[in-house]
Amino acid sequence: MNTPSSLESLIEALRCLPGVGPKSAQRMAYHLMQHGRPGAQRLADALQLALAALRHCQRCNTFTESETCVRCLSSKRDASLLCVVETPVDMNMMEQTHAYSGLYYVLMGRVSPLDGIGPGELHLDRLLARCGDGVVREVIIATNFTNEGEATAHYLSEMLRSRGVSVSRIARGVPVGGELEYVDAGTLAQALRERRPVAG
Amino acid sequence: MNQRHHVDGQPAFVLHAYPYSETSLIVDVFSQDHGRVALLARGARRPRSVLRGVLQAFQPLELGWAGRGEVQTLIRAEWQGGQPLLAGKSLFCGYYLNELLIHLLPREDAHARLFSVYAATLRRFADGAQESDLRCFERALLQELGYGLLLETDAAGLAVEENAHYAYEIEHGPVRLPGPGRSARSVSGRTLIDLAREDFSDPRSLAEAKQLMRTLISHYTGGRSLSSRRIFRELHEL
Repeated sequence: MNTPSSLESLIEALRCLPGVGPKSAQRMAYHLMQHGRPGAQRLADALQLALAALRHCQRCNTFTESETCVRCLSSKRDASLLCVVETPVDMNMMEQTHAYSGLYYVLMGRVSPLDGIGPGELHLDRLLARCGDGVVREVIIATNFTNEGEATAHYLSEMLRSRGVSVSRIARGVPVGGELEYVDAGTLAQALRERRPVAG
Repeated sequence: MNQRHHVDGQPAFVLHAYPYSETSLIVDVFSQDHGRVALLARGARRPRSVLRGVLQAFQPLELGWAGRGEVQTLIRAEWQGGQPLLAGKSLFCGYYLNELLIHLLPREDAHARLFSVYAATLRRFADGAQESDLRCFERALLQELGYGLLLETDAAGLAVEENAHYAYEIEHGPVRLPGPGRSARSVSGRTLIDLAREDFSDPRSLAEAKQLMRTLISHYTGGRSLSSRRIFRELHEL
């Protein structure tokens, strides 16, 4: 079968999405062209608009349409707290907790020595400049509890501590509502190692 | 190589994992009796996959896999425990060990002795990694690969003398010099003896052993620069 070249380039283009292999890309392309033409037009317009309008917030590095994002400009947020996360999705999760009213910094990645991703690739100098604004008192590191997330946390804490900023790391352990019987052994082992005295 | 394998209950560590297709991972594994193997972990990147938290580097696991050819299929992975998560400097040292194994260890070559050295080194890392741990691991690794170092006798077959100076010739051993050498391969007799005994109480021995090992490893990795070393160095430059 001869696939028209425009269809082929559409399939090829869709493969740039995470988790989309050749089969899924083909399915999506046929669907868009056969059943979803209005949707395809909307997708094309939205992509073009996003590409033209979106950039990184100069303060928190997340995506925004203006120089500084709305959250960073808000007077309701506590500017003395800065929470560092790996991705914008992580930031959304933190927001859903309704437990945090400070500001954010989104790394857009993590330190991963075996993939060659270090502080240079992550532009950590920009975070450093952000923390040195004289207003930030405490930096909360909320990177993942994977080896790469821990490596990133270590990097950040070393970098910031030497500059006199107070640094904390979110806690880990048994999840809320978790029953020990059903918690995985690794989590429980770490919760035991990181136990703390009971206040009161 | 091409026969069908079926392995179960195999002690192993993950060295590195790479995303593969839509929801899977290819895991580079160092196992006790089968050496380094590449395993396909199907569905390991799905949000609720039980493998998600298990296939982490530096944790003792018990794995089962089957298949033929270069990449076999992971069937079972169980966390064994007993190894605290690495943090801080130890974590970066752990990455360094993994990078050495990935670059130097050929696939499917059993190295049970090196496996136990690796596990013991990680356990020591849990209390804070020491430079001497790295040197001992590097020495064990070269030894296992058949590049064993000549430390107590020189290239001419004479016993190494503590106060003499040597240049370490790769594949030959220490060659005695009339005085202190200036290259990265020049070492004192004391350092060679200390390295043989794995005694690093003398800071000079430790510093010279580091230089020597770096030269040797760079030779055997074909001059490849190690990114874990670069990224660890950048940490100190911040």
